[in-house]
Amino acid sequence: METIRILIVDDEIGFTEMVKLNLEDTGRFNVRIENDPTRAFQTALGYRPQLILLDIIMPEMEGPDVLCQLRENEQIAHIPIIFLTATVRKSEVNQESGFISGYPFLAKPCTVEELIEAIDQNL
Amino acid sequence: MNNELKRTLQVLIVENSDVDRAVLINMLSKAPYGSFQISATDSLLETFELLKQSVVDVILLDLNIKDSNGIDTLQRLHSRHPSIAVVVNTGEYQDDLGLKAVTLGAQDYLIKGMYKSYGLVKALYYAIERKKAEVSLRKALEGLKEMQAQLIRAEKMNVVGGVASGIAHEVKNPLATILYGVEYLSTVLKEGDDKIELTLRSMKDAAHKANSIIKDLLDFASLSDIKKECYPIEKTIEQGLVLTHHQCEKTGIKVVRHYATNLPDIFIDKNRIEQVFVDLILNAIAVMKNGGVLTIHTSRKNFDRSDIHNPSSLVETIRKGDDVLIVDFEDTGKGIEEANIEKIFDPFFTTHRAAGGVGLGLSIARTIMDTHDGIIDLSNNEDKNGARARLIFKVKGDCSGDNTYLNCG
Repeated sequence: METIRILIVDDEIGFTEMVKLNLEDTGRFNVRIENDPTRAFQTALGYRPQLILLDIIMPEMEGPDVLCQLRENEQIAHIPIIFLTATVRKSEVNQESGFISGYPFLAKPCTVEELIEAIDQNL
Repeated sequence: MNNELKRTLQVLIVENSDVDRAVLINMLSKAPYGSFQISATDSLLETFELLKQSVVDVILLDLNIKDSNGIDTLQRLHSRHPSIAVVVNTGEYQDDLGLKAVTLGAQDYLIKGMYKSYGLVKALYYAIERKKAEVSLRKALEGLKEMQAQLIRAEKMNVVGGVASGIAHEVKNPLATILYGVEYLSTVLKEGDDKIELTLRSMKDAAHKANSIIKDLLDFASLSDIKKECYPIEKTIEQGLVLTHHQCEKTGIKVVRHYATNLPDIFIDKNRIEQVFVDLILNAIAVMKNGGVLTIHTSRKNFDRSDIHNPSSLVETIRKGDDVLIVDFEDTGKGIEEANIEKIFDPFFTTHRAAGGVGLGLSIARTIMDTHDGIIDLSNNEDKNGARARLIFKVKGDCSGDNTYLNCG
C-alpha cells in the first residue's frame, strides 16, 4: 500500500518529531517536517504532500501567511490543509464546527487518534 | 429660614445635677430661635433605654453622672450610638479634655456657666450639622473602600486574563509534544511490564491535568465573551448535575433538590452559569470524600442585606428590595475556616491543592457572577456541619411573563 505524504509546518521541533513518529508508526503515512515557515512553500513544492498540517502562531511567518503563499501556486494550491493550533480550546473547535476561515483546525493538544481522523476526513 | 431651624429638635439631657438640668431647660425655653422637645435622665443605662424607644437629634452630655464618670461616659455612648450628635456639657474646664472629647466623637464641648442661651442653641444646631456631615463622609468612605476592593479584584482578574492567552500557547505546545511522545511509547511498549504502563499512564494524566489548568486560565481570558439569554435556572442546575453525576455516585453523595415552583427565567449565559454550578458541585464533592448530602435550594424573594453572610459579596447592582432568585448549594462537609472565607475567591488560593485543586474555580465563578450582576456568597451552615454557597440573580423584566426560554427579545 502506498503511504500518504503529509507535510507538517510547525516551529515546535519536538512536537513535529512526535507527530512524525506517531503517524509513520501506523504504516500509513510518510511525514516531512518543516520547522521554518519561510521555507514551507519551497518544501511543499518539492515534496508534493497530499495534506499539510499547519501551525498558526510561528515566529517570522504566521500560518495564514504560509497558506496564502501556498494558494498562489497552481501546482500546490489544491492541497488540503489542517490548521493545528494551541490558541483555541477543544470546546471551541466543536462549537465552531472545526473551521478557521473555511479551513479545518485541530486544537493542541489533541490525541493521535483525533489527528488521524481529521487527516482521513480531509484527504 | 432654614428648614432645620423650623423643625422641633429632640434634645436629650444627660445630667446628674437637678440644678444644672433646670438651668439647661430654662435656657432652651428662652432660646432666641428654634423649638425643642426635651427629655432628661441622669444615667447612661437609662439613656440607652430612651434611645431604644425614641429618636433623638442631639444629646447634651454631662461626663460625670450616676453610673459613669469622665471621658469614659462619652466613649460608651459613642460606641453604642455613633450616629447621634453629642455636645459634652461639663463643669470641669480642661482644654485637653475638650479636644479629647471631640476626638472621641463629640461635636462640641461646653463648660457649665461659660455660655448663655444663644451659645447653647448654636452649639446644638452646629453639632447636628457636623454629625450629618461626618455620617455622610463615613458612608462615602465605606463606599470608596468597597469600590477599591472591587477594583483590586477586577485588576487581579485582568492580570490573570491577560497572562492566560500568552501562557496557553507556550505551554500547550510542549504539552502536545509530551502527549504524543507518551502515546508513541504506549504503542511501542505495548507488551511492557506493569511499571512501564503505570509510568506512561501517570505521565499522560499529568499532561492532561496541566492542560486543564491552561483551559481554566483561558476561561479567564475569554470571560468578557458571554452570550446571555432568558433561561430557566433549574434546567441549568440539572445540566450541572448531569455533568457531575458520575463523581457524585462514586463518592456516595446524595443530591437533594428543593426547587421552588413557578420561578421566572433569568437572563444568563447558560454555559457560564452551568460552569459555576459544576464548580460548586465539585467543591462540595471535594469536601465530602466519604459521602454526604448535597442539598440544592432555589427560591425567589426581595433581597435583603441579611441574605448574604459576607459584606464583601455585595454588588452595586443588587439593592435591598430587589426581586431576586437565590440558589443555595449546601454540603455536609467540615465547613470553611472563617479566615479563608474571603481569600477563597483569590486566584490560585485553594484548600485542596493536594487533591488536585488549582485555586481558579471560585475566582472564575465570582467573575462569571460579576458579569451577570449577581452575587456569590459563601458561609458555614449555622445549625449543622458543612458550608453553603449562595448565588443570587436579579430577576429582570425582560424574562418575566411565560416560562419559555426562547421567547426573549
